[in-house]
Amino acid sequence: MAKQTDIQISICGSAGDGTIAVGDIFKRAMARAGYRVIAFDHYPAEIRGFGKCISRTRISTNQVYSMKSYSDVLVSLNDLHAIPHVGEVRDYGAIIYDSAPMSAVAEGAHISGHLMPGHLPYALPIRELSELATGANRSRNIVALGFIAGLYQLPQQAFHQAIAAKFETKAPAVADTALAAFDSGFKSGSSTYKFDDVQIDHSRARKNGGEVRMMTGNGAIAHGCLEAGIETFFGYPITPATGIMERLAVEMPRRGGRLVQTEDEIAAISATIGAGYAGARAATATSGPGLALMAEMLGLGVMAEVPAVVFVSQRGGPSTGMPTKTEQSDLNLAVWGGHGDARRIVLAPTNVEGCRRCAARAFEMAEKFQVPVIVLIDLYLSNRYETVFLQGEDNFLPKNWQRVGSSSPGDNYRRYELTADGLSPRCVPGEAGGIHTATGLEHDEYGHPNDNPDVHSLMSKKRHEKLHDAMKYPGINFTKRFGDKGKIDVGLLAWGSTFGEALEAVLLAREEGIRCAAMKVVMMSPLPTRPILRFCNDCQQVLVPELNYTGQFANLVAGELGRPVVRVSHATGAPMDINYLLTAIRNAAKKKLRSKTTTSNPAKA
Amino acid sequence: MIPEQPVYLEDKVDEIRQSGRLAYRSTALPTWCPGCGYYSMTEGLVNALTELRIKTEDTVIVSGIGCASRFPFFMDTYGFHTLHGRALPVATGVKVANDKLTVVAVGGDGDGFAIGGGHIPHAARRNVNITYLLFDNGIYGLTKGQVSPTSATGFITPTSPFQNRDAPLNPLLMLLSYGASWVGQAYAGWPHHLTQLIRQALEHPGFSYLHVLSPCVTFDKTDRTYQNLDLAVRELDADHDSSDMAAAMRAAADTSTPMLGLYYAEMRETLGQALDLIAARAAGAQRIKRATTRHRQRKAPA
Amino acid sequence: MPSSTHHVVLGNGIAGNHAADVIRKRDPNSRITIISAGALLFYNRYDLPDVFRGRHQWVDYLVHPPEYYESQNITLRRKTRVVELDPQTQTLSLAHRETLHYDKLLIATGGHAYIPARLLDDVGLMHSFHNFRVAMQVQNAVRKNGTVIMLGGDVMGLDLARTIIATGHRVIVALDNRTFWPHEIAQSERARYLQALESMGLDIWDHGKVDHIEAGNSKGPARQVFFEDGSEIRGDVVMPFFGLVPTVDFLATSGIDMERGILVSPQLQTARDNIWAAGDVCQIWSATSNAYRFYYGYRNVKMMGEVAAYNMTGEQSAFESTVDEALEVTSKGLLHSPFWEYD
Repeated sequence: MAKQTDIQISICGSAGDGTIAVGDIFKRAMARAGYRVIAFDHYPAEIRGFGKCISRTRISTNQVYSMKSYSDVLVSLNDLHAIPHVGEVRDYGAIIYDSAPMSAVAEGAHISGHLMPGHLPYALPIRELSELATGANRSRNIVALGFIAGLYQLPQQAFHQAIAAKFETKAPAVADTALAAFDSGFKSGSSTYKFDDVQIDHSRARKNGGEVRMMTGNGAIAHGCLEAGIETFFGYPITPATGIMERLAVEMPRRGGRLVQTEDEIAAISATIGAGYAGARAATATSGPGLALMAEMLGLGVMAEVPAVVFVSQRGGPSTGMPTKTEQSDLNLAVWGGHGDARRIVLAPTNVEGCRRCAARAFEMAEKFQVPVIVLIDLYLSNRYETVFLQGEDNFLPKNWQRVGSSSPGDNYRRYELTADGLSPRCVPGEAGGIHTATGLEHDEYGHPNDNPDVHSLMSKKRHEKLHDAMKYPGINFTKRFGDKGKIDVGLLAWGSTFGEALEAVLLAREEGIRCAAMKVVMMSPLPTRPILRFCNDCQQVLVPELNYTGQFANLVAGELGRPVVRVSHATGAPMDINYLLTAIRNAAKKKLRSKTTTSNPAKA
Repeated sequence: MIPEQPVYLEDKVDEIRQSGRLAYRSTALPTWCPGCGYYSMTEGLVNALTELRIKTEDTVIVSGIGCASRFPFFMDTYGFHTLHGRALPVATGVKVANDKLTVVAVGGDGDGFAIGGGHIPHAARRNVNITYLLFDNGIYGLTKGQVSPTSATGFITPTSPFQNRDAPLNPLLMLLSYGASWVGQAYAGWPHHLTQLIRQALEHPGFSYLHVLSPCVTFDKTDRTYQNLDLAVRELDADHDSSDMAAAMRAAADTSTPMLGLYYAEMRETLGQALDLIAARAAGAQRIKRATTRHRQRKAPA
Repeated sequence: MPSSTHHVVLGNGIAGNHAADVIRKRDPNSRITIISAGALLFYNRYDLPDVFRGRHQWVDYLVHPPEYYESQNITLRRKTRVVELDPQTQTLSLAHRETLHYDKLLIATGGHAYIPARLLDDVGLMHSFHNFRVAMQVQNAVRKNGTVIMLGGDVMGLDLARTIIATGHRVIVALDNRTFWPHEIAQSERARYLQALESMGLDIWDHGKVDHIEAGNSKGPARQVFFEDGSEIRGDVVMPFFGLVPTVDFLATSGIDMERGILVSPQLQTARDNIWAAGDVCQIWSATSNAYRFYYGYRNVKMMGEVAAYNMTGEQSAFESTVDEALEVTSKGLLHSPFWEYD
């Protein structure tokens, strides 16, 4: 049987080299050719200048869950930026670089002097090929892309289509130039002897099936919003969530939706709550600092029982922190942030497809449970590309809540009626018979201000207990276990973008003979404690890997379960390091062996 | 304006019932102090809604926090009593969600110009088609009498025991410069005039700002009392041109004798119209893009 | 003595790699850079005929694993071509427009196949065998039970021919005055050696000089070789084996003394300071012959690398060949060259 394809290609250049653009063509072409794709780009924090750009793409025939900890191929479009990344290429992997740079370089400034002995060099006159093919050196990136396609015998047609699509909106000459550059690189790659052992087996690519889309987490959220029929969006730009608003700004008006860029995050959440109160499917999107500003209004949403959806993409904090780096340090804020007992629903998807699903379901859940729903992701998930297979299996529900008006006239509508499941009837402005005033004051069933102790106690209970059924809401796996079944040595309890690395680490550890499993937790609030506890009881050791310093999810789980877990925190601004996690798993497995010995020793003694 | 003969309630009960105005009032009794200027404002809004025959279920009153912000509870319309300072963005959200609704934001001077001051320019410049009734009593009443952004310099309160040293801001000048498309001023002591201005404000298509001067009968016994306000206010000059921004600003700058009436009004694209236009453009853009694609497809085989 | 001397070795063959190994042992702290035009780590070219025996992974030919270079702290720069040497400033200009400073330089660039001028027009129709990549190409081009035409037939070619025949193919050697190079064969002995070749299974083709080569049609063999006497032979590949010429093109402007190869003293030193040469690229002064002469074969070349390494690190030893250079016919009537021996 042919080996499964699973390779990661990094393209590194400086802003202006077209690094990200060519990475984009590569991943779209590979998706067209039937591969699964995961990709994560690295941008400079600065807009101008010659900052480092890296486009990393992992393509595979089987489902994979994260980026790999190493790359199989590195392309340098700028040696000074690429040299520090030479080490990420594995032995017998390939490094492709320009053998004829524009100007002379100082000793040590050319990448050829930095390759490790295990690397296979491909010295290609990238600039010269670009000039020969297009009359200019601007198409170096596309020449390099063509070289990769030729060297690994990738389907030329898929690349031609991806290039044509990329430049569709430009003058036809632009696409023609790009195609000429690509073909020149392709010809060169096809006639180059392949020394490396990187295998891309085209025959095993996925041939047909549902519609394949290439999406980022942000794009998938926008997609999910549109599928759910979002009606209003109010937002304020903030990295890394802005992409959601930018996508919706294009797509919503075409579908009659309304989007307003507000003056700040407070206005964004206020208008979202206002629109939710008025019956619209309403959402906003922000990052940690914006969520901090929104905390008070989320409390009002909980108190007044107003549906609203808040997408939060976390970045390095606190304060302005590291706006272009990833972190999972706003879990506390999302789950607990704000004043008073303001339980809300928090969903944390673990991959791009999950972003779409959670985004769409969040509107349904917000309406059903009459509460703000936070969908919590991070920069890594926001910006990472994955192939998403749209199989038409998801039919997201249209607006549908219990609209019961009052038959008697006057202000006697029991908007906050105490019911068995805690969910009250709800009417919205414009509907006769449902007139009421929603309020942030504690109130009775009619919404009249009331601070009677019994009322506060009953209403607090109602607002919390109505969310119990949220854990049974269909259409999302709020927890799911992967890996070994039954009793195991090491279990990883992971959430958000980190789950992919956790699962990859578990799969590697299993190959080493360690009995282990990973559980993803998608619902952060209310926490589905029962399945989590069952999982923990199967594990000798429970590791909780996450991208923050304090172990926020570990604290949440340990607090709710009353059971100790091991924190595997990784606060560097980068995604979780699979090797770091693998070491933690090995150590935990060893510790378990030691503890076995120590427990048996006293018996002997 | 002021009727010459006294009017007695019992003579008017039937007339009141038949007018339909009671439909707008809830059975909840207002929590304001006796004599508070906010009673006349409630009456003013009820009368204006009655006159305009706007349905109760199509009316939403959005408030923030403060004495004035209790307003929605005393009306039998949809209401949303929100957070301190956030009435305007919440009202914007309600209006964007459903353009058919008549949305009225209400609040006091602290709610509007202190904590919520950042939202006013944006509601104004976007020309959100809502009415903002700002009840200015120059004091924080609900927290028992502290200074507000419109308190006079020299005002003594529990938080300014050695006199307030801050200059009061000029709300009318601010709103005019923010680009509000309808700016007026009324006085709680002139209830009929107030009703007429509220009605005009509701009728204006766009962001209408009505500044209502009111005393705080409980915590301000010295400065903004009915006696002092009665003496100070006067109507805008009969020849005031409400389309003349410069004239409106000159009138607004005269704070010694606050002038009542419509300062400025203009017709401009509202936020709702702008969003409809964007939707139409987006639909058009799709047509344009499809056309170019077809063109290119025809060219491709050659 | 601790040293930060930068030793640069040009060439990734036996001489260069052995020299680097010895330099490292003698000067553990110095900087060592090997520059190679190829893409691979140092591998055993003597084993390349094994591509006909199914050994198709270049990794299997490696002399050292990648870790060796890391543990020895040797920088290997591959796909790197030197275009100019300036002994005055002790700098090398690399083709990708980087300059590299050396303190001590060893030139061990070896040699490349000699192609007679009359055949230069047909280079595109011939296959060489000097590295793994082209060896694989030859192996792919020769059909099962196919035919290899060797022009000339130097000792490298004859070594390869042994394996090709052993793996079921046919080899035709078109004789030339370079047949048996570098062994010098007296005219009187020639018949005996040719007979040994035939005993080994080679077909001898003695029709004088090649006129030209043509690509065959798609049905028949891929190559046709036409000789000046009008005869022709057909085969899958045509391989030139006319001996080696030293690879010295980049030294044109360097001022280094050259005849065909780089002229060096018995201590392998050139006339320029801090530059040594070793292997097939150099001609060593021989007092007995009163001339500069080449020494070939694995053992000689390795010894040159060793001597050069010693002398680059402070010694003054002279190169002395211990190899008996005579071409033998064994008791079984087969040919044996001392240059086919290696460890």
